[in-house]
Amino acid sequence: MKRTLGAIVMMALMVSSCEKDIDVDLPTTAPKIVVEGSIETGAPPLVLLSRTQGFFDPTTVSSIASSFISDAVVTVDDGTTIHVLDRICSDLIPDSLLEEAAALIGIDAELLAQANICAWTKLDGSLLGMEGRTYRLNVATGGNTLSATTTLPNAVTLDSLWFRLAEQRPDDDTLGFIWGTITDPDTIGNAYRWFARRINAGADGEPKDDRFISPLFSVFEDKYVNGLTFDFFYNRGTAPYSTATDDNNEEVGYFKRGDTVLVKFATIGIDEYRFYESFSNNVSTQGDVFSNPANIRTNINGGLGIWAGLGVRIDTVICTP
Amino acid sequence: MIRFLLILSFFTLGSMLHGQRTLSLSGYVKDAASGETLIGASVICKETGKGVNANTFGYFVMNLPAGRYTISTSFIGYQEDIRTIDLQEDRKISIELKGEAIQVGEFEVVGERGEENTESTRMGTVDLDVQKLNTLPALLGEVDILKVIQFLPGVKSNGEGNSGFYVRGGGPDQNLILLDDATVYNASHLFGFFSVFNADAVKNIELIKGGMPANYGGRISSVLDINMKEGNERAFHGQGGIGLISSRLTLEGPIVKDRSSFIVSGRRTYVDVLTKPFVNPESQLSGSGYYFYDLNAKANYRLSEKDRVYLSGYFGRDVFDFAGANPGDPDFRIAWGNATVAARWNHVFGPKLFMNTTATFSDYSFAFNARQDQFAFKLFSGIKDIGLKMDLSHYPTARHSLKYGGQYIFHDYTTSTVDVSSGDTEFNIQDPPTLNAHEGALYVMDDFDLTDALRINAGVRLTTFHHVGPYTLYALDERGRAIGSREFSAGAPIASYTALEPRLSTRFRIDKNSSIKASFNRGQQYVHLASFSSIALPTDVWIPSSRNVRPQIGTQYSTGYFRDFKEHMFETSIELYYKDFDNLIEYAEGASPQDNGNTNYDAQLVFGTGYSYGAELFVKKALGRVNGWVGYTWSRTMREFPAINNGNEFASRWDRRHDLSVVLSYDHSKRWTFGATFVYATGQAVTLPVNRYFIEGRLVSEYTERNGYRMAPYHRLDLAATLRNKTTKQRTDPVTGETTTVEKRWKSSWTFSVYNAYNRANPYFIYFANDGDPAAGTFQVQAKQVSLFTILPSVTWNFKF
Repeated sequence: MKRTLGAIVMMALMVSSCEKDIDVDLPTTAPKIVVEGSIETGAPPLVLLSRTQGFFDPTTVSSIASSFISDAVVTVDDGTTIHVLDRICSDLIPDSLLEEAAALIGIDAELLAQANICAWTKLDGSLLGMEGRTYRLNVATGGNTLSATTTLPNAVTLDSLWFRLAEQRPDDDTLGFIWGTITDPDTIGNAYRWFARRINAGADGEPKDDRFISPLFSVFEDKYVNGLTFDFFYNRGTAPYSTATDDNNEEVGYFKRGDTVLVKFATIGIDEYRFYESFSNNVSTQGDVFSNPANIRTNINGGLGIWAGLGVRIDTVICTP
Repeated sequence: MIRFLLILSFFTLGSMLHGQRTLSLSGYVKDAASGETLIGASVICKETGKGVNANTFGYFVMNLPAGRYTISTSFIGYQEDIRTIDLQEDRKISIELKGEAIQVGEFEVVGERGEENTESTRMGTVDLDVQKLNTLPALLGEVDILKVIQFLPGVKSNGEGNSGFYVRGGGPDQNLILLDDATVYNASHLFGFFSVFNADAVKNIELIKGGMPANYGGRISSVLDINMKEGNERAFHGQGGIGLISSRLTLEGPIVKDRSSFIVSGRRTYVDVLTKPFVNPESQLSGSGYYFYDLNAKANYRLSEKDRVYLSGYFGRDVFDFAGANPGDPDFRIAWGNATVAARWNHVFGPKLFMNTTATFSDYSFAFNARQDQFAFKLFSGIKDIGLKMDLSHYPTARHSLKYGGQYIFHDYTTSTVDVSSGDTEFNIQDPPTLNAHEGALYVMDDFDLTDALRINAGVRLTTFHHVGPYTLYALDERGRAIGSREFSAGAPIASYTALEPRLSTRFRIDKNSSIKASFNRGQQYVHLASFSSIALPTDVWIPSSRNVRPQIGTQYSTGYFRDFKEHMFETSIELYYKDFDNLIEYAEGASPQDNGNTNYDAQLVFGTGYSYGAELFVKKALGRVNGWVGYTWSRTMREFPAINNGNEFASRWDRRHDLSVVLSYDHSKRWTFGATFVYATGQAVTLPVNRYFIEGRLVSEYTERNGYRMAPYHRLDLAATLRNKTTKQRTDPVTGETTTVEKRWKSSWTFSVYNAYNRANPYFIYFANDGDPAAGTFQVQAKQVSLFTILPSVTWNFKF
C-alpha cells in the first residue's frame, strides 16, 4: 500500500517533477558473504555463494562474476549424516548443458558461459530433500564460517488451479492470471511461495521461460488465513532484467490464452517467508522516499542470504479461460 | 516540587497583602467595523508604563491604584485609541479600534506587538496575523499558514512542498495543533502538500516553540494554537478566491446585531474536475481522481455582559480514487480527514476573574478500500477524542496574573481494522479492540513581577494517563507471533502514568529596549505517532502509551537576548536551546504493516532517546513599507535507539545544520504589493544503500548507516505581486452635478505568484536505478535525484464584499 501511495503522490499532483543523474560518495565497508541455498522435496540441495560489492563498483560481466565465491567447503547435516557438497563450476559444464544448469541455479546462461561461477550440490543422490526433516548448512570460506538451519515443511497441495481472463482488461479475451484454491492447514505458522514457468514455445521456437520465475511479493503466510479455504491469483513474474518481447509490451505480467504453465507451489517456514517478503520489499523500494529503507532479513549466521527448505508440488495449467 | 509551590504561593500572597487597594480596569478590545475581538491587542497605562495584552477572547484586565490615567490601546493595522480614565472604582470598558485610514500594507506580522518582544516572559513564541498573509508567494497560489510557519527559525519543513513541520528537533507528533482548543491530529491535505487550515476562516495563530506555559500540555515540542474568526457582528460580508487548484468562499454576518454573529467558510479543490476532460479514457489514469474540501463554521452569542458562548466546527476530507496501473493491481479509494467541534463558554465572574470552559470533540479517520476481481480489502484507522477543559484567568493584583484550570480527555483509538475477503471467504483478521484511555491534567501558573526588572512565569502541570480495557494482551514467541492472550474487561486498568511537569520562564529587563530571558520546561506526552514511511502519510497510526510504550518525555532549556531598535520598528532576538527526548518510538528495522495484525499494536516498536540543540537568530521589521523577517537557525538533532543502526547515534531526518529564511513584503503603492521569500537549508539526512548483491539474479541493496548521507542543500526563492483593483469610484450626483469619491462595496485583487523562481532542482529524494542485462555487460547502476517542483507560476483572484 505504501508503494501505491507513493505512486499516487506523484500522479496526483501531475507535478513538474524532474530527475537527474548525480554522483554519490558512499563509504566503503568490508564485504559480507551472501548465501543463496535451498533444498526442495526430492531434490539435492543447491548453494551459491557470493560477496557484497560496493554499490557503484564496476558493473562489467567480469566484475559481477568476481563477486561469486568459488572456493569453499559446504556441508549439510540432515540429522543423521553430514554430507560434504560437491562443487560444480560453469567452466566444466559442457555448453549443451549450460541452459539446463542456468535453469537449475537461476543464473543467466550467458553469464555462466562467460564467467566461471560455482555452485554446491550433492551429485550422487545421497541427499534428497525429505519433508519434515531439518537441515543444517555449514559454509567455510576464506577463514569465515557461516551456518544456518532450515526445516523442509510438509507440502500443502493446492485444491485446484485455473486460468482466468483479467477483469481489468474487459475488451481482451487472451490475457489473464493463474488462480489457485488453497486449504490452509489448521495450524498457525504455514507460509507459501509461488513459482511459474511457461513451457510452450514462444516466437523463437524455444520454451517461453527457461526457468521457474517467482513474481515479487508472491509469498504469503497464514497469520490471517489460518485454516481457511480461499482463492488467490498471481500475475506472471518477469525474469530479472528480461529483454523478452512479452516482458516489454502490454503482455507483461499476464499469462496468455494457450500457454502451458508449470506451477511450482512451495510450502516454506516463517523465517524463509520473512526473507522473501523483505527481499521483495528491498527490490521494489530502492531509495524510495515513501518507505523506511530496510535490509533483507536473513537466517544465515555470519552472513546474508537464505538457506531455505521448500516443500514443493508441481502442477500443469493449460491457459484456456 | 512542594517547596516550589510554597514559594509560588508565598510570592502570590506577599504581593496581595502589600500596599494600597488596587482597582481593576477590564474589558474587551474589538474591531470597530466588524465587532471581531482583537487577540493580543496591547493596552498600556501611560502613567505607570505598564501594559497588558488582550487574551484569546479579546479580554484584558489591568490592576491600578485609584487615580486618573491615560490608557492607550493599540494593535498593528489599527489607529491607536487614547482615552483618559478616572478610576475610582472597578471599571469595565469596551474599546473599539478603527482600521487605519490609509491601508499601508496588507501584510504585517503582528509578532510581539509593541514592547511585547522585550517585556513579556514569552520565549520562542510567534504570532501571525493570518489575514495578512495573502500577499506572500504560495505554492500553486494556495496560501498556507503552516508553510509560513516553516519560515520561522527553529521550525523545519518536511521536504519540498510539505506542510508538515518539526520544531526544535521534535517529531511531527510532538506538535499540539489546536483549532479553537480542539486537537487536530493530521493537519495536512494531499499527502502533506497543503494544510487543512483555510486561511480565510482563521483569525490568529500562535506558535510556541519553547518555554511552554503550564496551561498547555500533552505534546512535548510545540503548541500551534489557532483561533477561528468569530464573524462580523455588525454587517453581512463575504470574501473568497478563485485559484488554480481550488476555490474558497467565506460568508459572515450578524445573527442578532452586536450580540451574535456567524461565519461559514468552505474550500474545495477541482483538480479532478479540471483534468478529467484531458485524461485519455484508455489510459491507466482514467479511473483516478482526487479532491479535498474543508468546511469551517462558527457562531457566537453574547448572553449578557458577563457571558458569551461560541460553537465552532471544522470538517474536511480528502478523497482519492485510483485505478490499478499494473497487471493485478487493485482499484481503490482512500478517504481521510478530520472533524472537530468546540463549544466554549466565557464567563466574567468579576473584573478580576475570567473563565473559559470548552467542550471539544476531535475525530480523525483514515479508510482504504481496494478491490480487485473477487478480492476486497478494507482498512480503517482513527481517533476520537472527547474533552472538557476549564481555564481561569485571575488578576489578583497589579503584579500577578494567574491562570489555573484542568482538562480531561477520553481517547478512543482504532489503530487499524482490516477486512480482507476472497469471494465469500473472509480472512480471519481479528479486529483490534478500540483502545481507550483517560487523560487528565491540572495546572496552575503565575506571571508576576518580582522586581521591576525581573518577571517570572512559574507553573506546574500535573498530568495523568490511564490506558483501560477492553483489551487483549498477547503473549508473543521469539518470532513475535501470538501464543497466548489475556483479556481485559471494559474499564479495567492496563497501564497508568502520572507526572508533575515544571514550567518556568523568566525575563530580566536590562533597559527599555532589551531583556534577557530564560526558560525551563518538562513535559510528558501520552500519544505517539508510528510511521512505516520516511515522510508523513495519512497511513501513519497514532497509538497511546501502553504497558510497553512509556510516555515520551521532553525537557527543554532555553535562554535568549531580546532587543528592539528604532521605537520597536526592529525586533530582534537570539535564542539558544537544548532539548532532551526520552522514550521515543520507531518501528523496528524491517517491520512491516502486515505484521501488525492479530497481535499487540505495539509489538513491532523499538524505543530510544534523542537530543537537539541550536541557536536561533531572528530579526523582524513589523512596521513600514518594507516589512518581514530574517530567521537563521544553527542546530543539531540526533537520535539513539539500541535496536537501530547497531545502537549508534544517528542524525534525525530533520537535522539541519543551517537553516535560513527571509520573508519580505514591500508596499509599493495603494495598488501594488510585492512579496518574496527565500529559504536555504542544509541537505536532508537520508539512508542510502552502500553495498549491492544479487538474490535470484536481482540486484538488492545493503544499508549500513541510518541517515548517513546528506542530499544537496535546499534553496528556493518565491516571488509574488498583488494588484488591488481600485477600491473607490466616482459618483456624480444627477441633481447637483457634483462628483464625489465613494468606496466600492466590491473589492478584488489579483495575486501573481512564482514558486521556485530561479528553477532550482532541489532534491526530493534519491534513488539508485539499475538497468540493463548483467550477462550482456550492459548492466548499469546510477544514482538519481528526483526534484518535485520546477518553476511554477500561478495566479489567484481574491474578492471581498
